[in-house]
Amino acid sequence: MAAPLGQYKMVLFARTTDKEILRGAQNGGIVTALLSYALDTGIIDGAVVAAPSRSKPWRGKFDPWRSEPIVAMTRDQLLSARKTGYNISPNVMMIKEATRSYGLDRVGIVGVPCQIQGVRKAQLYPIGMRGVPDKIALVIGIYCMEVFPYQSIVQIVEDHGGVKMESVEKIEIGKGNFTVVTERGRTIQIPLNETRDLEQPGCHVCLDYAATLADISTGSAGSPAGWSTVFIRTKIGDEVWKRAMQAGLFETKPIGQVEPGLGAVEKLAVEKITRNKKTLEDRDFIGTKGLRNPYITT
Amino acid sequence: MGKVVEISPTTRHEGRSKLVLQVDDEGIITVGNWISVTPVRGLEKAVLGKPMEQVPKLLSRVCGICPVAHALAAVEAIETSIGVEIPADAHTLRVILHCANRLNNHALSNIFTLPDLYIPGTDRKINLFSPEEPMRSIARRIQRIREIAQGITEIAGGEAIHPTNTRIGGMYYNITSRAKQKLTDLAKEAVDIVKTQMDFMIAVLRNFQRRDWTEIGGRQIPIPRNLGYHSEGYLATDSLYGTSSRTSVQSWDPDHLREIRPWNFYMGEVTIDLEDSTYPIGGTTAAGTVVHPKREATNAIPLYNGRPVEVGPRARMALYQGFNEKGTIGQQVARQMEYMTDVHEILNRLDTLNTSGKVLTDPIPPGDGKTLAWATTEPARGTNVHFVRVREGKVADYSMIVPTTWNFPVCSKALSGAPWQLAEVIIRGYDPCVSCATHMIVLDPDKNVVAQNLIR
Ligand code: SF4
Repeated sequence: MAAPLGQYKMVLFARTTDKEILRGAQNGGIVTALLSYALDTGIIDGAVVAAPSRSKPWRGKFDPWRSEPIVAMTRDQLLSARKTGYNISPNVMMIKEATRSYGLDRVGIVGVPCQIQGVRKAQLYPIGMRGVPDKIALVIGIYCMEVFPYQSIVQIVEDHGGVKMESVEKIEIGKGNFTVVTERGRTIQIPLNETRDLEQPGCHVCLDYAATLADISTGSAGSPAGWSTVFIRTKIGDEVWKRAMQAGLFETKPIGQVEPGLGAVEKLAVEKITRNKKTLEDRDFIGTKGLRNPYITT
Repeated sequence: MGKVVEISPTTRHEGRSKLVLQVDDEGIITVGNWISVTPVRGLEKAVLGKPMEQVPKLLSRVCGICPVAHALAAVEAIETSIGVEIPADAHTLRVILHCANRLNNHALSNIFTLPDLYIPGTDRKINLFSPEEPMRSIARRIQRIREIAQGITEIAGGEAIHPTNTRIGGMYYNITSRAKQKLTDLAKEAVDIVKTQMDFMIAVLRNFQRRDWTEIGGRQIPIPRNLGYHSEGYLATDSLYGTSSRTSVQSWDPDHLREIRPWNFYMGEVTIDLEDSTYPIGGTTAAGTVVHPKREATNAIPLYNGRPVEVGPRARMALYQGFNEKGTIGQQVARQMEYMTDVHEILNRLDTLNTSGKVLTDPIPPGDGKTLAWATTEPARGTNVHFVRVREGKVADYSMIVPTTWNFPVCSKALSGAPWQLAEVIIRGYDPCVSCATHMIVLDPDKNVVAQNLIR
């Protein structure tokens, strides 16, 4: 197996020192803080991020359980996009538009590993992406085990969990459970093996967990509560990270110091990759053409 | 009795065309036939029965040089047919797109024309590929104009080549205020560059006009004073953008239009008996070759009031601004003068663009198929007319008369009186774009044209 965590220059625990960002953040507020810093300093002039859906309101507001890509050009817009949605938001779709009607020259983008793979592919073979590759200035990846289409989330919450979508206060996926916390404080846990079939099918053949092609990738795995694990992978990532550190944007802890640490990230990555390779082999066995593994390095 | 010479293919323009020329003993053209030999693409037939939303996208593919012109004429014609008005800001974006595309095309035409011209005061032709100055700076300047024009098209239209932002009922997106600011910066940068380029072009054109001869194939060919003169009329439907059958006061009348078949216009079978191996590039067609222009031509012949008409920058300037210089040089000068109109118009329209304005009409009716609607645009090479009938959201009839189609017959006439070696200089004055001038033509088993024209 190719290194499950990919190539990186540095890995550490971090959380932002920006209180406003931290307050609304899922974990260490890394993505929002980095993007907002990059916006302020002109490293990027806008970023494609997933934000609560504007087209379909929920409790009379933007729907946090249904994400949609937006091109954020201000800190406020970034703040509105905090927290991970568990349904896929087609961010790559907006990257071209960001360079067109939005008039951006240096675009930041956040995405799950498959999206980062798409972005990199677009940079290498810019078919239908004329003028886009050199305008991608910062690529931030988020760890990803799997995602659910919005309809699946509704089904899990309303059918398996027995609560209305309107009552949901928080959704968390982790430690083997799909956890729903309601407005009235009730916690419902649905084991993830029960929801497997409701996951996005493509996720079952996905071989990247830690967004190995991003400039910087981050997620909660392995880190203490309220912190994030951060991989600095590329030259661009390194420069941006260094500048942000100099500006005092993050506090960090070396990865060795705290449990569970890197081992936990690796464990998740290996688990995902092994399981999905198995799916690929099964598909091969039943005669469906197996997918090429883009991460194989020999 | 004169001789017949053929230049095939003609060079430095889009598409594939050829010249069959009857010349007298001095080599002066007596009958000129300029014909398109680009294979037929049949887009006008391909769009029949297609949902109207698809059709402008398909028709944009008529040509990769002026796709904007076709995409715009198609949406405008379809909107006219179904009776839809678009919001003001959508129209503004379309005009910006249109002007940017014209800017790009005029700059491209400069690249094709310059190798015919001389550096003033010398007998050196301008080779844009030379690393020497001033050639290098000229080439850079032209490419910068094209970059700016394509940058503007990309932002306002979604893509630099085939615009994706145009749609039936307006545009998909308005642009952000940041994008507007970027467009303004680009257009402002263009103002100076374009002014310099225009002055430069006019200077070298005037210099060519004053010369007695030009070198072609190692020989000095005399330049006649009336190079490219013709006595046909002009047609332009608007000084800037275009018009449609919806407008009450019409700048032209399609009832006066008749399309005839090449069969009735070009010469019949002839044998080439003049051959010149020194003519660039690779010499003319070998003597003894039999050609048949009226059969080989893939372009139609539109007549207006029974005569060929010239379309393009000079026609627009002549009809709307009193420009009256004839001939190839006059035509080229008019083209350069349009440069400024285009940049200033982009800036003016940007000024009025409201970036939070609506750009899409709602609802969009499906069309009742009763009226044959038309719309025109005035792209770089002249009047582009699209006719369409839309029934229940599907295209029932489609026909286009594109700029170079208009120009084929008039230019063929304008060839007379010039030394045959200068024929290509004359056709380049029309900045031909041959592919889009190619029409669907149906032949019966005896190879006679039987295609039914939509307009007659
Ligand atoms: S598991 Fe893979 S395919 Fe599924 S969303 Fe995550 S990165 Fe994309």
